Amino acid sequence: MKHLIVLLLILLNTLFAFNVEDLKTLKEDGDCPMCDLSYANLSAMDLSMSDFRDANLSHANLNNALAHKADFSNADLSYATFLKANIKGASFVKAHLINVDFTEARIWKGDFTQAKIEKCDFNNSALGSAIFDENNLSNSTFNEAILYKTIFRKNVIGVPK
Amino acid sequence: MRPLVLIFLCTLALFSNELKLEHNFNQAVEKAQKQHKQVLMMYSAVWCPECNYMKDVVFKDKAVSSYMQKHYVVLTLDIQKDKLPDGFEYPGIPVFFLLDNNAKEKHRIVGGSKAKTFLQKLKGLQ
Repeated sequence: MKHLIVLLLILLNTLFAFNVEDLKTLKEDGDCPMCDLSYANLSAMDLSMSDFRDANLSHANLNNALAHKADFSNADLSYATFLKANIKGASFVKAHLINVDFTEARIWKGDFTQAKIEKCDFNNSALGSAIFDENNLSNSTFNEAILYKTIFRKNVIGVPK
Repeated sequence: MRPLVLIFLCTLALFSNELKLEHNFNQAVEKAQKQHKQVLMMYSAVWCPECNYMKDVVFKDKAVSSYMQKHYVVLTLDIQKDKLPDGFEYPGIPVFFLLDNNAKEKHRIVGGSKAKTFLQKLKGLQ
């Protein structure tokens, strides 16, 4: 029975874990486009200017990370967490943002153009000068978020008040 | 007519929430010593939206400005014009340094926040 549980845990880990080589690449190069970093723990890491274009970051933990001007264009960030992260100037253009937790994140000048945004938590985040364009924000929450000079361009549904 | 204008201006100044900002480190330290206050030094830039939000919105909040006016001499230095005094390092802007009596860093607040939260943070520094 014990062996079966261990085997099951290993199997589950293999199924859901990130690619170890990809994480190594990120740590060495600071960039990891098209990488599989799903479920990776990137909390409190310095990811400033990192390239995550087309990467799989679903369920990744980016809490307290410093990802200033990082490029998450077209990345899958479903269920990722950015709690208290500093992601000023980061690009989320065409990214998949499903159930992402941005609570208390600093997202000044973030670019969310054409991002698929669903059930995201932007509560207490700072979205000043951020750009929203062609998004549906109706089922995301923005309680106490800073929306100072936030740009809501055409076709944005559910603009927070 | 003149006294009337003067009275009007004085009244305006009395009820204004405008926070007086200093821009010279030594002068701010000297002023704080004279007034038995602490120096709160903000390091910022004109191109930084977060910094502008703090100056344009948070510093103009009645509760924040009156608290800051009461407890601090507020010094703002610009990243493009002013070098931080020796011994100070910044992880990004805006950053707020609360100075001790020897003009050294006592506490710091990194980043801006809404008026209510910022006030809580300031009160937490005491």
